[in-house]
Amino acid sequence: MDLLANLGVGFATALTPMNLFLAFTGCFVGTLVGVLPGVGPIATIAMLMPLTLKVDPTGALIMLAGIYYGAQYGGSTTAILLNIPGEVTAVVTAIDGHEMARKGEAGAALGIAALGSFFAGSVATLVIAALGAPLTKLALLFGPAEYFGLMVFGLGLAIVLARGSVLKAVIMVVLGLLLSTVGTDLETGQDRLTLGIGELSDGVDFAVLAMGVFGIAEILRNLENPEARNVAIAQIGRLLPTREQLRRSFGPILRATGIGSILGILPGNGAVLGPFASYAVEKKLAQDPSRFGRGAIEGVAGPEAANNAGAQTSFIPLLTLGIPPNAVMALMVGAMTIHGLIPGPQVMTKHPTLFWGMIASMWIGNLLLLIINLPLIGLWVRLLRVPYRLMFTTILLFCAIGIYSINNNPYDVYFTAFFGLAGYLFIKLGLEPAPMLLGFVLGKLMEEKLRQALALSEGSFMTFVERPVAATLLALAAAVMVIAVLPAVNRSRQKAFQE
Amino acid sequence: MKGILGRQDFVGGVAVIAVAAFAWWLARGLPGGGASAMGPGTLPKGLAVLLGVLGALLALSSLFDAGLPLRRWSPRAPLLVLGALVVFGLAVRPLGLVVAGPLAIAVGAFASSEVRWKETIVFGVLMTAFCIGLFKFALGLPIPLAPWLLGY
Repeated sequence: MDLLANLGVGFATALTPMNLFLAFTGCFVGTLVGVLPGVGPIATIAMLMPLTLKVDPTGALIMLAGIYYGAQYGGSTTAILLNIPGEVTAVVTAIDGHEMARKGEAGAALGIAALGSFFAGSVATLVIAALGAPLTKLALLFGPAEYFGLMVFGLGLAIVLARGSVLKAVIMVVLGLLLSTVGTDLETGQDRLTLGIGELSDGVDFAVLAMGVFGIAEILRNLENPEARNVAIAQIGRLLPTREQLRRSFGPILRATGIGSILGILPGNGAVLGPFASYAVEKKLAQDPSRFGRGAIEGVAGPEAANNAGAQTSFIPLLTLGIPPNAVMALMVGAMTIHGLIPGPQVMTKHPTLFWGMIASMWIGNLLLLIINLPLIGLWVRLLRVPYRLMFTTILLFCAIGIYSINNNPYDVYFTAFFGLAGYLFIKLGLEPAPMLLGFVLGKLMEEKLRQALALSEGSFMTFVERPVAATLLALAAAVMVIAVLPAVNRSRQKAFQE
Repeated sequence: MKGILGRQDFVGGVAVIAVAAFAWWLARGLPGGGASAMGPGTLPKGLAVLLGVLGALLALSSLFDAGLPLRRWSPRAPLLVLGALVVFGLAVRPLGLVVAGPLAIAVGAFASSEVRWKETIVFGVLMTAFCIGLFKFALGLPIPLAPWLLGY
């Protein structure tokens, strides 16, 4: 079997002492930073990117992936213990997880979250390994028109999945596309929208943008709303769930793994939908739905498993098509480019050890999270008692050093401050930054593919209609947009995100 | 603030229009070009126009649906937090991390209303020492430490 041979190569790469150490460090540091309230995975990765500058590309990606899972896991920990979801996907976990914590079952909630995530992660790793090769072959058949169609579909989904009004999400996507045009023109080499600032001719750095609108803006938001954090957690309780709790969680974890894996593959950040979908499904299937919201363990096990499965399978579009489906994957693109790799179908054929090593390290990372986090929960809780005034200054310093070190350029620090201000204004104006980031990430590639496609067709837009795959993707994009603005769907969508 | 100027979506829409207009103005000199040979200016201008229209829609929608009011804001935190970053950027090359680190922490700390003098100084120095150990010595990043004292 090819698959087994490939996974063998992967494990041989991932299990070298160096890579194992990097995976461990990534998971540990990722959790450490992810536990801090208000620092989600995006800011964590952007902040810690310099940690990976000195290792080889495979090691760097293994470590970044570890940081990503760690940060996600850290987010669930604060969601359960403090009712502060580190990011959107942990919102659902907070509902029943925090209720369990208030009943003194915090340990069981954390335990089942870790076990469910581990199971889902293991399955998702196999999914990636199995789908990687065939999807890569498919990707090689894609022409510019198909790529363009796929990215439009991705943006359409991102708009539908964003919180708040559809109009605002469209605005943010277009703003992101516009930002992506800053810098040297691909074909003529002319400077565009650079204000004459030389540092901008390479375009806006994604890490800078992400750090500003997520990291810095989040600090500003927290400083303005000093919420009374209820850190006096009574009892963590036993970490291992009881046999009864395990029995209840088994079905939800299985179902959620399937739901999360499928949604994660979708372009346009389908993964965020996983926890919501899983929660809704479990509530429907439950014999006594009223238990949900009052500390039902299914409401923790399912969403956490779906979250992890989706987080994992969202690597598929990146590794096979070279299209990042969300902001975290866009940072991975940034990290790959720093190391001279161009994401896309050629990664698997040209760098098989990197590709399979990274996939194998995902499974190892999940195992490491299970091993290091359950005993360390006490440490994380103590970390939460650190006053915010010390926490945010530390984050600030790390951001500054991290951003400076990416290009050794003070301008990047100023740009981060600028985008921090922009992010602060977005918060004040109720504009969600996530769709903007995706628009920004896909913008450059979309322009390139659009211009290529039109050059090939000699300026005829019919190329997007005549080519069946491209036409289907564009039609799908149009369909999801139309559905999103239908009043009935729009209302239930708003409701779904409020819950 | 009451009235139309207090509505989040109205202010947001106007701000979006302003950004779009600025982008269009920046792109004004870039050559456009037809569909078969799109020029460097085609997309920026097209997107700017689209953004302006969307901003106008948002502003108009606020006339019919008041939506959320504009949230209160105070300049203290943004000024000091962003100021800390700028100070770091200005100081890191000529003065090095030894100075830029504690300085950034000191400026940033005043963004919080519970700032304490002594704690900030001690913490800033300790944190900087930790960062020097991690980034400079453990990771070997080429960030300047104290060019005026050590020469690197």
